[in-house]
Amino acid sequence: MKSSTLLAVPVVVAGLAQASFAQTASTVTGSVLDATDRTPLPGVTVVVKGTTIGASTGPDGGFSLPLPAGSTTLVFSAVGYESQTVNASGGPVRVTLKADVKQLSEVVVTGYSEQNRKTLTSAISSVNGDALKDIPAASPDQLLQGKAPGVQVSANSGVPGGGIFIRIRGSNSVNASNDPLYVVDGVFINNTNLIATGLGNQVSSNPLADINPQDIESIEILKDANATAIYGSRGANGVVLITTKRGKAGDKTRITFNTYHAWSKAPKQYDLVSGPELAQLENERFLNDGGNPALLPYRSVAAGGRGLPEEQQTYDRLSDVFRTAQTQSYELSAAGGSAKTQFYVGGGYFRQESIARPTNFDRFSLRVNLDNAVTDHLRIGTSTALTRTHRNVSSNDNNPVGVINSALFPRTNLPVYNPDGSYAKYGSFDNHQALIDNLNNDAVGSRVISNVYGQYQFGKHLTLRSSWSIDFNDMYENNFNNTLILAGQPRGTATSFLSRDITLLNEQTLNYTVDFGENHSLQALVGNTIQKNTFQRTSLAGQQFPSNDLTSIASAATQTGSSARSQAGLLSFFGKATYSFKQRYTADVSVRADASSRFGADNRWGYFPAVGLGWRLGEEEFIKNLNVFQELKLRGSLGKTGNQAGISDFAARGLVQGGANYLDLPGTAPLQLANPNLSWESTRQWNVGLDAAVLQNRLLLELNYYDKYTSGLLLNVPVPRKIGFASVVENYGAVSNKGFEVQVTANWLPRAAAVQWSTTANVARNVNRIGKLAAPITSGSRDIFRLQEGAPLYSFWLYHQTGVNPENGDAQYEDVNGDGQLSVADRRLVGNAWPDYFGGVTNSVSYKGLDFGFTLNFEQGAKIMNMNRFFLVHGGTQSNIGYLREQLDRWQQPGDQTDIPRLTTNPASNNYGGVVQNLSDRYLEDGSFLRLRTLSLGYTIPKEVVAKARLNSLRLYVQAANLFTITPYSGLDPEVNSQSGVSNTKNFDWATVPQPRTFQVGLTVGL
Amino acid sequence: MKSSLYQLLFAAILGATTLSITACHDLLDPTPVQQLPDDQAITDAGSARSATIGVYDRVQAYYQLNWPVLGFLPGENVRFNGTLNQFLQIDQNQLSADNVLLTEAWTQMYQAVNGANNVLAALPSINDPLLASAEKNQLLGEAYFLRALVYFDLGRGWGGVPLVLSPTRTKENGQGTRRSTIAQTYDQVLADLTQAEALLPDGTTRNRAVKATARALRARLHLYRQQWADAEAYATQVIGSGNYGLVTPYRAISTAPFLSRESVFELTFSNSDANTMWNNWFPSALGGQFNFQPVPAAIALLNDPAVGGSRSALLGTTTIAGSSVTYGNLYSRSAQRDDPSYVLRLAEQYLIRAEARAKQGKLTEALADLNAVRSRAGVPASTASSADALLLAIENERRVEFAFEADRWFDLVRTGRAGAVLGVTDQRRWLFPIPFNDLVADPDLEQNPGY
Repeated sequence: MKSSTLLAVPVVVAGLAQASFAQTASTVTGSVLDATDRTPLPGVTVVVKGTTIGASTGPDGGFSLPLPAGSTTLVFSAVGYESQTVNASGGPVRVTLKADVKQLSEVVVTGYSEQNRKTLTSAISSVNGDALKDIPAASPDQLLQGKAPGVQVSANSGVPGGGIFIRIRGSNSVNASNDPLYVVDGVFINNTNLIATGLGNQVSSNPLADINPQDIESIEILKDANATAIYGSRGANGVVLITTKRGKAGDKTRITFNTYHAWSKAPKQYDLVSGPELAQLENERFLNDGGNPALLPYRSVAAGGRGLPEEQQTYDRLSDVFRTAQTQSYELSAAGGSAKTQFYVGGGYFRQESIARPTNFDRFSLRVNLDNAVTDHLRIGTSTALTRTHRNVSSNDNNPVGVINSALFPRTNLPVYNPDGSYAKYGSFDNHQALIDNLNNDAVGSRVISNVYGQYQFGKHLTLRSSWSIDFNDMYENNFNNTLILAGQPRGTATSFLSRDITLLNEQTLNYTVDFGENHSLQALVGNTIQKNTFQRTSLAGQQFPSNDLTSIASAATQTGSSARSQAGLLSFFGKATYSFKQRYTADVSVRADASSRFGADNRWGYFPAVGLGWRLGEEEFIKNLNVFQELKLRGSLGKTGNQAGISDFAARGLVQGGANYLDLPGTAPLQLANPNLSWESTRQWNVGLDAAVLQNRLLLELNYYDKYTSGLLLNVPVPRKIGFASVVENYGAVSNKGFEVQVTANWLPRAAAVQWSTTANVARNVNRIGKLAAPITSGSRDIFRLQEGAPLYSFWLYHQTGVNPENGDAQYEDVNGDGQLSVADRRLVGNAWPDYFGGVTNSVSYKGLDFGFTLNFEQGAKIMNMNRFFLVHGGTQSNIGYLREQLDRWQQPGDQTDIPRLTTNPASNNYGGVVQNLSDRYLEDGSFLRLRTLSLGYTIPKEVVAKARLNSLRLYVQAANLFTITPYSGLDPEVNSQSGVSNTKNFDWATVPQPRTFQVGLTVGL
Repeated sequence: MKSSLYQLLFAAILGATTLSITACHDLLDPTPVQQLPDDQAITDAGSARSATIGVYDRVQAYYQLNWPVLGFLPGENVRFNGTLNQFLQIDQNQLSADNVLLTEAWTQMYQAVNGANNVLAALPSINDPLLASAEKNQLLGEAYFLRALVYFDLGRGWGGVPLVLSPTRTKENGQGTRRSTIAQTYDQVLADLTQAEALLPDGTTRNRAVKATARALRARLHLYRQQWADAEAYATQVIGSGNYGLVTPYRAISTAPFLSRESVFELTFSNSDANTMWNNWFPSALGGQFNFQPVPAAIALLNDPAVGGSRSALLGTTTIAGSSVTYGNLYSRSAQRDDPSYVLRLAEQYLIRAEARAKQGKLTEALADLNAVRSRAGVPASTASSADALLLAIENERRVEFAFEADRWFDLVRTGRAGAVLGVTDQRRWLFPIPFNDLVADPDLEQNPGY
C-alpha cells in the first residue's frame, strides 16, 4: 500500500506544510542527487517522518525544511525512485536516490484503481510514454507494436491515420467485435471508424489517431480475466488503459517543445513486365489457345496487328503514384502545479503524407488536464482533449478505380494518355494520373474526449468518486468526383456524409483502502456505470453538375439523401477487493453485472466474476536464503468476461425495414429474424504467471500462460436461404485461444555504470481454434476465407496446387475427395493468417548525453493471400490486366519444371480460370518477417551548456523506421491487411500502400 | 459560507449518483426508429401497400444485374471483359457451386418469395376501411404474380426447388421442405398465376402487375412446359387485348420515358432507386467498366440489315486510344440511371405464339407471328417453310431480339439446344448448381448432379 499511495503523498504533504511552521525548532537544508548520474533531482518530496511537515526540492535539487524539536528522520521520495530514510542530525543533508527498478516495484494502473506491481495477480503489460514518443505514427496503438507480449499489432496499410489490426491474446469472436476496449483517463472511447466513403473495403480511419501520442504518460494493457472482468461486458477482448500526462504538485512549470520532420518512401516496388515481354506473353497465350499463327495479336501493324512485340513501349505508372512523403510534428506543452492545483496543457500539430499520392492526414490537438484540491477532502478535475483531423482519402485495395490499382493493373504497353492528350483508361480501371490530379475526398473529424470528476474523501480510508464523461466523435465528409475520373461519370457526382458517434458515461466508485497493522492491507471498491451510445449519419448524394468547378451538392441536378440513427445503453454495477498479507500473499476478487439494451428483457443481465491469487515466493525465507532471487512471484487468475460489441443495436428483434422502395413509393421488406433468446457472448479465461528478478535485478523475467474459451458466440448462423434469410444472430459456437507470453528484460551493466544498456525481448504464441460452429461460413472476396469447426479463424479456403505437369504445362490440384474431377469439394483449408510466434525486441543504450536504441518486431508463420499475383499472374484470362514478371516463369515446353502453368484461357485446363477460378494456393505465401521497426540515436546536450542559452534541456535525435524487413514474402510488405473492412478476413494483399521506410530528425527543447 | 459550498458540492456528487441510477429504464429499452417489429409490419392499408411495394423491390434487386447476366452471359452474344472470376465462370459455362453471383441471386430470389408470403398471409385478415376490396385484391394478385415470377425463374435456373409458401418467423420455418420436382415447381407457378389473373385488375400498367401481365407469364410458362395450345391461347389473349403493340423503331422500347406500348412488364428504376447496369456495358472512356462486351459475331448479326435491322441500335461505338470500339447500348442512361429491367415484352409473346403454333403445325400463322417481329425490326420477312426451319428461325430471332436481356441461355436449355449451339454438351450443366453455402446450411437440400 505504501508505494501505491506515493503519488498522493506530495499533494497532501505540501498542502499541510505551510500550516506547520509554528512549531519550528530548527531548519535543515540539503540536496538530492540521482545515484546514477549525480545530477540534481528537482521535485523530490522530503517529509519529516511522523509529521506532516514537508517540502519539495528545487531545480538544483536543494531543499530547506523546518525541523520540529525531537524529529530528525527525513523521508525522501520521488516518482521513479526508491524512497530513502535519512537521519538529519547534523549539517546539510546530501542524499542520492536510486532509480526504482522498473517492472517490479512500479505502480500499475488497473481497472478503477492503481496497484503496486508487487501485489499484482493479473497479467498486465505497461508501456511507458517515453518508449512511445518519437515514433512517426499517427496513432498510439500502432506504437505498441512489438512492445507488449501477446499483443499483436499490425497496420492494415501504410496509409497515415488508417486502420490498425490489434488483438490481445487472439480473436474470441466471429461476428462480434475483437477489438479491445480503450479507456483514456477513465473515458470509454469509441473505436468505430466513422468514414463512410467506400475505400476498397479498407477501414479508412483509426479513431485512436485522434489522440496525440505525445500526450501519453503510460499505456497499460489488461490481458487476463482478473484484470478485465471489472470491465465486464467490455473486457473480453482486453482493455487498453491510456493515461495522459498530468502536472505534479510542487513542480516548477516545465515547458516542452517537441518537433520532428520525417521523409518516407516505399521500401520496394512491384515488378511488372515490360511492353515487349507483355506482347510475347500475349502471343504465346494466343497460340496456346489454338489461335492462328498468322493472326497473332502482336504482329506488325501492316498485317493488321498491334505491332510486333519488340515495337511495344513500356509505360511506368507506379512512379507517378509513389513519392517521398513528408511528416511533420510540432508539439508544445506545459506542466506544473502548486500544492492545490496541478495542470498539464498541450497543443500539437501533426501532418503526414502517404507515400501513395494523393492521401494526407493532419491533426490539430489540444489537451487540458487539471486537478484541484478544493479542500483537504474534496478534489475536482478534468481531462479534456480536443482534436480536429483532416484526411484527404483515396481508394486503393479492392477497388478497380483505386489509385494503386489504376497504376498497377493496366497493361504496361498501353499509353497513359490518348493521342489527344486526354487520360487513357482501360478495362475497369481508371487513369491513375487522373485520380491523382482530380480526387477530391475530404474527411474532417472533430473529437472531444472529456471527463470531469469530483472526489470526496471520508476520513482516512474511504473515497467517493463521481465522474462524467463524453466522447463526442464527429466526421464530416465531402467527396466530389469530377468528369475526368470514372466515379464522376457521366456529369459529376458528389457525396456528403455527416456521422456522429456519441458516448455518454457516468460512473461512481466508492473506494476503501486500509492497512491493518504492518501486515494486512485491504483495498475494496464498488461502483456503477451508466453508458449511452448514439450513432447517427446523414448522407447526401448529388449527380449531374453544371461544371467541374461547382463541387457542392447544392449545384447538382439530382439530389438524394438519407439518414440513419441507432442507440444502445449499458447499465453496470461492479465491485472488487484486494487483500494482501505482508505484500506476500495477495488475493483479488471482482465481479461486474452488466445489462445491455441489445438483448431481450429476460436475457439482459450478464454477470462477470474473477479471482486472482499472488504469492511472492521471493519473500519466503527459504527462497531468500538461496540469495538468488530479488523477486519471485507466482500468479494465477480465473474469470469470465462478456461481449456484446459488434452486433447491431436491435439484433435480438425480428424486424422489417423501410427503404425497399419501388416506383418512388415507400416499401418495406423483412430485415432479420427475431431471436428473443439472444444473450451475452462470454469468455472464460485462466492465466498462470511467474515474475522473477535475478542477478541484483539485472535480469527480469515475466511468464504467462493463458487459456481462453469463448462460448455462446454472437454468431450469424447460416440458415436455409429458402426461408428468405441468409443468417440469424444466435449464441452459438465457441472459439478458444491458448498461448504463452515471455518477456525478458536485461540490464546488462550495473546501475551505477556510466553506460546504461538494457534490452527487453518478448515473444508470444497464440493458438486460435473454432471449437464449435453450426455450419461452415465463408467470408471475404471470392469466399477465400472459411470458418470451420476445428480450424482457426482467418483460414484460407483454396485449391491446393500440387504442381505443374511438366509434360503439358497444366496445373495439377489435389483431388481432396478423390472423385477424379475438380469441384468445390476439392477446396480445402490450406493455411491461416495467424503467426505461430510474434514479438519484439527493444534495446536502449545511453552514455552521458548519448542515447541509442532500436526496436525489432517479428511474426513467424502467418500466411498472406497475394491478390496482386492472383490478378497479375493470370495466364491471359484477364484481358485488361498486365503481368508481374513472375508470369515469365510459366511452363513453355515439355520438361519445364515450374509452379506457373502454361498460359491459356481455356477453362478446361483450370490453369487460371475454369472451376478453380484461379483460387489456387500458389498465391498464398509465407508472411513471416523480422523488421527493424526503429533505430534511433539521440544526444542530450549537457545542462551547463543549455543553461547558457536559458534552456532547461535540449535533445537532438535522428531515427530511421522500417530500415529493413527480412521476409520470404514476395509482395511489397508482409504487414498488410487490405480487406480490414470485411469481417473474418485478414492478410489479403491487394494494391495496398506498404509501410514506408522513414528517416527522421527531431528536437526536444525544455524551456 | 465556504464549508456550505463544499457540502453543496458533495451533495451534488451524491445526488448525481442516485439520479443516474434511477434514470435507467429508458436506457435499456430504446425504440428503433428505422425498423418495425415483423409481426406489426402489415396491419392496415398503408402498411399493406408498402409491403407489396417491398416485394417489387426485391424482384427488382435480382433483375437489376444478376438475372439478366445469368440469361445472356452463358449465351454466345456477350463476353466478360472484367476482372471478376464469378462472371468469367458464367461466360465460360464452367459454373461451380461457390460462384458468388449465383449465391447472391438465389438469396435475393427467396427474399422476394418471403416478402410475397408475408403479404399473402397477412393481407386477407386486414379490415381497414381505407383498403377497398378492389385494392386488396390487387395487392394480393400482385403478390401471387411476383411469387410466380420468382418460382418460375428459380425453376428454369435450377430445376425443381423448395417451395416455401408461408412467411418466415423463425429459422425452423420451412424445415423439412425439400426440393420439389420441376413439374411441381411449375405447377405452383401455375397455381399462383391463376390466382393472380383472377385477382388482378384489368389495365395497362406496365411496371406493376395486371391481368395481362399474369397471362403473358403464363404463356411463357406453357411454352417452357411444351403445352403449345395453352401457350398460344395465353399469348393470343395478350396480343389481342389491344393494349399492347410492337413499337417502331426498335429503339423505342428502351427510350425514355420507357413503358412503351410494347412493354408488358418492366421494372422501373429512377435516380433515387438507380440502375447502374449501364456501367457494366460502357467502355471506360465513357465512364463505364466495360465488363460485358458484345462479341464480334453478335455485332455482325446485329449490324446485318437482313438479321438485326434496326436492332443495331443495341450497339454503340466510340473511339479509345485511336481505335473504334463497339459496346452494348441497351442500358444507356448513365446520367439518369433509370434504365428499366425488361421482363415481359410483346415481341416475346409473338415469338411464343409463333413457336407454339409451329409445334402444332400451324405454320402459316406461326410465320406471320415471326414476321411481325421481323418487320418491326425492318428486316425482310422469313420464308421458312418447314416446322424445323421455322423453329430455327424463331430461335435465331430470339437471339437478336433479346440479345442483352435474360433470355438466350434459358431459351437454348428449354429447347435442348444448349449443347448443339453453345457446346455445353454435358446436360447436367444445363442447370445451375445449388449454392454450396446453402447446401451446408440446409440439410433438406440436394445438389444438382454434375457439381
